[in-house]
Amino acid sequence: MMLLELTWLIFLFNLITFGNGPTMIPLLQQSLVNERGVLTLDQLLYAFAIARVTPGPANVYVTSIGYMLFGIGGAVATTLAITFPGYLMLPLLRGYDHLKNSKVIKNFTRGLTTTSVGLIFATTVSIADKTLVNLLAWIIFGFTFVLSYFLKWNQIVCLLVASAAGFILNFWLK
Amino acid sequence: MTENKNKDGDKHITKSAQSIGYWQLFMIFVKAGCAFGGGLGILAVLEDELVTRRQALSKEEFLATYALGRVVPSGTMTALAVAYGFQFGGWFGTVLALTGLILPAFGLTIGLTIAYSFLKNSEFIQLLPVTVLPAALAFIVVAAIRLGKDVFRPSLDFVLAAAAFGGAFFFNFNPAILLVLGGVTGIFIFGRENKENKVEPKQEGTAK
Repeated sequence: MMLLELTWLIFLFNLITFGNGPTMIPLLQQSLVNERGVLTLDQLLYAFAIARVTPGPANVYVTSIGYMLFGIGGAVATTLAITFPGYLMLPLLRGYDHLKNSKVIKNFTRGLTTTSVGLIFATTVSIADKTLVNLLAWIIFGFTFVLSYFLKWNQIVCLLVASAAGFILNFWLK
Repeated sequence: MTENKNKDGDKHITKSAQSIGYWQLFMIFVKAGCAFGGGLGILAVLEDELVTRRQALSKEEFLATYALGRVVPSGTMTALAVAYGFQFGGWFGTVLALTGLILPAFGLTIGLTIAYSFLKNSEFIQLLPVTVLPAALAFIVVAAIRLGKDVFRPSLDFVLAAAAFGGAFFFNFNPAILLVLGGVTGIFIFGRENKENKVEPKQEGTAK
């Protein structure tokens, strides 16, 4: 796999998914982990985890993936690939009034984001199947979920506390 | 406008939209790029800087641009950086705003990725499956639930999302194809829904 191919793939994935966060994860898992096998599932998850705990835009996990595969050049290229489509904003701002009333575009976007939700759940289940391999992984998963979803803790704190808990439990259980 | 600016002197210029200089523009977006909490965290900083403090934009303008940014295929905040960068600094402004927004995350992400390659050659890698990885999965689940909140009700949205789930999970369809299909399906089913709501409100198909 070449850098150009990776950049093109990420550019394309970013174009067909809308919004931030995990929307690109199903596509990346399918193409980089399953089909091409250039990235392991662990690497993808690690990239996602650090994108969650760093400030700024939530889709910089592509930066991490770019760095893992091609070093600093890869990081720059993949970051540019997700940044560039932002320039579509300029023609959009010009055609604002026309677009505001376009039902077709609205419904297309709604269909796309809804599909995206279904895909993210499908990927989540398949990743969970491979990640939650033992009791301790389940415990740390449940623990982090409660901290993040119900108690709404800051994600850095969540990650640190959960990792520390996993670290300690791992030695304690042995 | 430009004539007024020259007459009014420096103090007034600092209040007007055109006066946000390149350096200021860059720093506003660096600050936004340092915000935690993804899109909404960034949005909060931009609102504070551009609407409340500098009054460079009205609340309505700000929200309209945000709504448009959500339509752009790419991160919404990336789209906002291009929009405001251009508005306050032309083409060069877009580069400054984007760079400012991305730079903090870019540096930190690379730092942490390097940490991973060090971990890879140590015993700590064996601890990842019981520390960082299940935690990352929990973050994905939380994000998925939040994204899906609007979809979890008896609606056409739910049917579409469930169909996408089934197509991907049970039949292993390519996600890219499913997304495009989903968008096109949206044009038809949501278009009909809107019409039925207006013309025949009693129709059962649209009942909630």
